[in-house]
Amino acid sequence: MTAEASALISVLVVDDAAFMRLAIKNVLNKHGFTVVADAKNGQEGVDKYKEFKPDVVTMDITMPDMTGIEALRLIREFDPNARVVMISAMGQESMVKEAILSGAKSFIVKPYKEEHITQTLLKVASKC
Amino acid sequence: MAPENNQDESLLELFVFETGQNAQQLEQVVLAAESQGGFSHDQVNEVFRIMHTIKGSAAMMSFVGIAKLAHRMEDLFFYIRENPEASYDSRAVSDMILSCMDFINQELERIRSGEPADQEDNQLLIHRIDLLMSVMTGNSEPHAGCSAKPPAGVSAPAPVPLGSESPGAKRYKAIILFEDGCAMEDVRAYSVTVEVGEYAKVLSYEPQDIMENGESAARVREHGFTIRFETELSLEEVRKKLMQTVFLSELDLVCETVEAAPTEAGHDDAEAHEGHPEAAEAPEASEAAKKPAANQDSTAQYHQQPQSIISVSVNKLDLMMDLMGELVIAKTMVVENPEIAKLEVADFNKSAAHLSKIVTEMQELVMSMRLVPLSATFHRMQRVVRDMSNTLNKDVHLTLIGEDTSVDKNVIEHIADPLIHLVRNSIDHGIESAEERARAGKSPTATVTLEAQNAGGNVLVSIRDDGRGLDREKILARARANNLLTKPESEYTDREVYNMIFLPGFSTNEKVTEFSGRGVGMDVVMQNISQIGGSVAIESEPGKGMNTLLKIPLTIAILDGMNVSVGDTRLTVPIAAICESFKPRQQDILKDIDGNEMIMVRGECYAVLRLHRQWNVQTSVTQLTDGILMMVEQDGKKRCIFVDKLVGRQQVVVKALPAYLKKTPLSRCLSGLTLLGDGSISLILDAGWLVETSINGQ
Amino acid sequence: MSEVAMENSPAVEDTLHGKYLTFMLDQECYGLEISYITDIIQMQPIATLPEVKRYVKGIVNLRGEIVPVMDVRLRFGKPEIAYTERTCIIVARTGQLCVGLIVDSVCEVLKIPDESIAQPPRINGNSNRFIKSIGKADKDIKLLLDFEKLVADDELEAMVHPESACPDAPKDA
Repeated sequence: MTAEASALISVLVVDDAAFMRLAIKNVLNKHGFTVVADAKNGQEGVDKYKEFKPDVVTMDITMPDMTGIEALRLIREFDPNARVVMISAMGQESMVKEAILSGAKSFIVKPYKEEHITQTLLKVASKC
Repeated sequence: MAPENNQDESLLELFVFETGQNAQQLEQVVLAAESQGGFSHDQVNEVFRIMHTIKGSAAMMSFVGIAKLAHRMEDLFFYIRENPEASYDSRAVSDMILSCMDFINQELERIRSGEPADQEDNQLLIHRIDLLMSVMTGNSEPHAGCSAKPPAGVSAPAPVPLGSESPGAKRYKAIILFEDGCAMEDVRAYSVTVEVGEYAKVLSYEPQDIMENGESAARVREHGFTIRFETELSLEEVRKKLMQTVFLSELDLVCETVEAAPTEAGHDDAEAHEGHPEAAEAPEASEAAKKPAANQDSTAQYHQQPQSIISVSVNKLDLMMDLMGELVIAKTMVVENPEIAKLEVADFNKSAAHLSKIVTEMQELVMSMRLVPLSATFHRMQRVVRDMSNTLNKDVHLTLIGEDTSVDKNVIEHIADPLIHLVRNSIDHGIESAEERARAGKSPTATVTLEAQNAGGNVLVSIRDDGRGLDREKILARARANNLLTKPESEYTDREVYNMIFLPGFSTNEKVTEFSGRGVGMDVVMQNISQIGGSVAIESEPGKGMNTLLKIPLTIAILDGMNVSVGDTRLTVPIAAICESFKPRQQDILKDIDGNEMIMVRGECYAVLRLHRQWNVQTSVTQLTDGILMMVEQDGKKRCIFVDKLVGRQQVVVKALPAYLKKTPLSRCLSGLTLLGDGSISLILDAGWLVETSINGQ
Repeated sequence: MSEVAMENSPAVEDTLHGKYLTFMLDQECYGLEISYITDIIQMQPIATLPEVKRYVKGIVNLRGEIVPVMDVRLRFGKPEIAYTERTCIIVARTGQLCVGLIVDSVCEVLKIPDESIAQPPRINGNSNRFIKSIGKADKDIKLLLDFEKLVADDELEAMVHPESACPDAPKDA
């Protein structure tokens, strides 16, 4: 996939930390992805998914109220073809596994390198 | 990590801002937990989550010191969360968290002011945490490892012998190597099995314990992940699918099905389960918020109703205020243009009125946007009270009233320090020891009350305690010692005596305590408050307590001004109106036919306004060549104003003229007043008046 | 010296009723209801102001608040004298208006019962305008001031009450 292709990929960023949202958006924008929306909690993530129907979603695993995994499930309920990539930290293996079981397409471990994000999103978005 | 560009800078700013918020929130949770005697389940979760967030962001910004510390705290709370039966000293844990927050706040301060952060002197803190951990884990059975058991219903598929595949299906073997540093290779391998399971029947894989054993990640990293599966898809199709694996470094794919299928004595094992996302019963996620049965915890009060709030940089708000000011002026110039007034166009008047209304509404809105509630500042005092109560062994309760009262953003920053000082003062000097209180018949718990309320264009903030009040004799004695008394002591009213504590350097402490120090007294508090245009007053009743009243303007107008002097009078001229300032040369000074003084500047003639003559101010500087001329411009008109000298440029806080003077001619000359650093008053000149007023000849 | 109350809440007003702070101008003793008074301060440096009446000496910085000060002697048309160490500024308020009154010296707080208060005689002269009533305490006469008149706008007053008009030379321009 070429760099131009990334412009065709729409992304929804879900994370309760404004800092993380900004950091991820910066990386995505830099590499030409189209960030259509961001959400600061699970419920908002689900709502925005329904509204924007992005190609890919980055979903933080640890969030208060509705967790990333719950939001993942709700999104998958709404759209079984949803492509959700979990953002996790070291030591969260069990949660990541659960997320994979719940339908997450892949995951990114913090602290991440820029290529991790771009590569993962490109691959996930292009899976057929 | 120095910001390299705008994007990095705003990321850093956001990091500092958000981490600061998180630290504050954490402090609240801890204080709440303390007052309840321990951490509720929700509170433990919240602490864990906040530490996790701080760790993540700090790691991303390469602030290793903060990240490491947060990580250790996270570990500590993970343990507490996973072992609810474990007993631990919650007091020690709260102290620990607060100490860590102090460190983090210090780091944030350094980062804010651009100093090198990332101090590694968190070693002591980390040792303390380790100590706490070992005490805790020694107390009870430690939970077995971090990795939870695999979800029920999934197990490693048993190997299925070749030859038993269904017709049309081919058997494949894939060995996958992941990229270096992609982390959690065991989970990645697991996710491959799930993906493959979507188009094939997974037969077996190696290592088999990727679900249960975190150590398998290392094996996957070194030897790769082998998976055998069966599908009707062709080799090319399978390769294409597998190549989509994220972080795939190497793929070794072979088709194992050949015509002559050797048979091995196979054991008829049970069908291997495929990990279907929908079928597997996920275990009760440890992250799922467990709502404990009857656990009244007060973390709810810190979770605001989701409000639509965004954070905006104060600079933008300041800019907006300035533009609003200009908009108002520009609107006035259009709407009140004399040429248009002559035309008497009805439609225009209607539109003009409408425009005026909108502009006024906008102006009010913009001013209100800068308002910030005092609650955050008030809540910071809880920490102060807690620390001081502990150290001084006094039981003090803090009551907050009216914390929703809002003040200008600029004001908030200047209030915190005075408040902290006043609260410390109350607890240190005002509130008596437990024995003394008992003897006086007072309740053992002392109360400090912070109250804020709106009063017209001001906010009144009162800090009162029920301690012993001010000691008239002691104050008089100190004043006497410092030669501050000008009349017999008996002639001073109590109020006059109390107000003496505002005199510079006045402090009745013989001992410099850790908190109050010497000389950093009420005079500094007063200075801080007057700098934002506010005033301070004191009330006290011996034996009953003391009340300090701060009166702070709701919004403060700040002006970029040039301070000048004429005789003993101090004046401030808005910088925006000044074109230039210079010392005139005799040869450029001339008189016009009417005898009015003029000055030549680059070929043009400008009228001279001598302020000392205009106002009959005594000054020794009467020769134009001895003083300074400031060329002032407003509404296209220019004039040169003669003053003694330029004192300096300063951002001044504009205070309105007192009500008593508002109706005098003075209100035309001055746009306001301001207090200079030395406490003297400067008159802020109105540029319009300067260029238009008729000059008094002589 | 007894303490003067600051908060003029209704409950406090009642206990303030009938109490006056007395001060001297030359040999005359004047009184002002203490419900108006919030501070008594020593003479301090005054920043002079242009374009104000002669009796408005200027403004002072009172713990962050800027207060205009009036020389009561001048307000009453008396000759100006040099300030001494006994000279005080009585800070008084009504509504939003706050003014400091420069007086020769401050005496005490007196309770003057209503029965001892009488209407002022009608004499021509400046000070008449500002006296609300006459109080008697221990055989001494105290001239009780009308604070509102003291701080009122004279031109406005002249239009409303022409009979009490009296010239006050505005400050030289």
